[in-house]
Amino acid sequence: MLRYWSLLKKLTSREIKARYKQSFLGFFWVLLNPLFQMIIMSFVFSKIMKMTGIGVPYPIYLYAGLLPWLFFANSIASAMGALTNNSSLIKKIYFPREILILSTLLAKVFDFSLAIIIFIILMIFFKVPFTVYMLLFFPIFLLQFIFTYGLSLLLSALNLFYRDIQYLFDLVMTLWFYVTPVIYATEFFPMEYRYIFKINPMSVFINAYRQVLFNGAYPNWESLTIGLVISVGLYLIAHSIFKKLEGMFADVV
Amino acid sequence: MGEIEFANVDKYFYLQHQKTIKELVAAIFNQKKTLERVHALKNVSFKIKKGESVGIIGKNGAGKSTLLKLMAGVSSPTSGSAKISGRISPLIELGAGFHPELNGKENIFLNGVILGMEEKFLIDKFQEIVDFSEIDMKFIYTPVKYYSSGMYMRLAFAVAIFTQPDILLVDEILAVGDTAFQAKCIAKMEEFKKEGVTTLFVSHSMDAVKKFCQRVIYLKEGKVIFDGDVNEGVNKYLKG
Repeated sequence: MLRYWSLLKKLTSREIKARYKQSFLGFFWVLLNPLFQMIIMSFVFSKIMKMTGIGVPYPIYLYAGLLPWLFFANSIASAMGALTNNSSLIKKIYFPREILILSTLLAKVFDFSLAIIIFIILMIFFKVPFTVYMLLFFPIFLLQFIFTYGLSLLLSALNLFYRDIQYLFDLVMTLWFYVTPVIYATEFFPMEYRYIFKINPMSVFINAYRQVLFNGAYPNWESLTIGLVISVGLYLIAHSIFKKLEGMFADVV
Repeated sequence: MGEIEFANVDKYFYLQHQKTIKELVAAIFNQKKTLERVHALKNVSFKIKKGESVGIIGKNGAGKSTLLKLMAGVSSPTSGSAKISGRISPLIELGAGFHPELNGKENIFLNGVILGMEEKFLIDKFQEIVDFSEIDMKFIYTPVKYYSSGMYMRLAFAVAIFTQPDILLVDEILAVGDTAFQAKCIAKMEEFKKEGVTTLFVSHSMDAVKKFCQRVIYLKEGKVIFDGDVNEGVNKYLKG
């Protein structure tokens, strides 16, 4: 893998540069897009639906769920096209194909890091106190990354064989969004359905982010362990499937 | 280094008749064919020594591209063994790694790294690559989507030529570009030949094959029909 380090670096910067060269507003898009979504949703859910009792102002509560969710959804969406868009490379030169997926995801991590700047400004604006527990954000994000990477490997490989998997998965994502506490808090959900949040890793991660960022406390270790097992398990399975199919990529692409 | 040995290589692949799940479900209901097994290479064996220039000829669909894919290591044989030693530089579908939005310089580095070159080496060779491509320095900072197809080709070829390969895979690339640049490419390939680089040359132009290779491998329907002297092989091919 070390041999391919500079390839990974170049492919990642290709993703980032190409994206920002295409659009007029450049880097501002990554900041503006989630910001506008947050403002619209905040208006709808705090003024109209009146979500209260969550401890912090709703806009920032929402943002702490929306940013990780958008990272997840955008990563999956781009990763599914990563192999098909690079078909001419796949037919031509050998290198481990997961580099194409990994570079796509790393470019999204870059977007995510930029968007966090606005989040920090909001934290200061709403006077949310900074605590050491916030450092736990990094290991939780690592878990989310592993989960996202595993799912991306699996879906990108399958999408190469049947090109409408990505459209099918768009539907899944719409549903997934609503069973993840992005716009609402877990507590708003009826008790008998709350097990959904335990087995949905995205919900585990978002709850954990909010816990360490807003409540100045440790995350729920039990849920996080389930998240860890699912993420690592998925990654291991997805990676082995990806590697098994890799030899056929050049034949089907 | 620079040797290729194929022993009893068979390659099957599945031709997918449906590219989407929607079509697949429809096909299953209508009891249509879904997957078709294609026998692309049949018991192919040969040995290529370092420094040889070998032409690969045959009609469309004879298995030439499949053979090159196996040599480039992007596809693996179904059975048999394909041993390739040394660094391979494929001059097939030039500029595959180019991104239209990036400028010439960025694409030189991107494509160079994809072809397996070190970044440091590319920094050293940057000027030489630009000179070889004959692209005006003022266009190097222009996105390649504004390049003419000739410029695009020349830049891609220039990067590929600097890979210091042990094995060069050349697939019909000389069909593009103007005559002067073609001559330059052939001169560069002759130079490689002198340095002992093994060259695999796929072409439909029998004159080019005769000029460049001593040996040909003639493929027909996935089988090696002839392997040996270039003139004899070309005659056999032309007779059908």
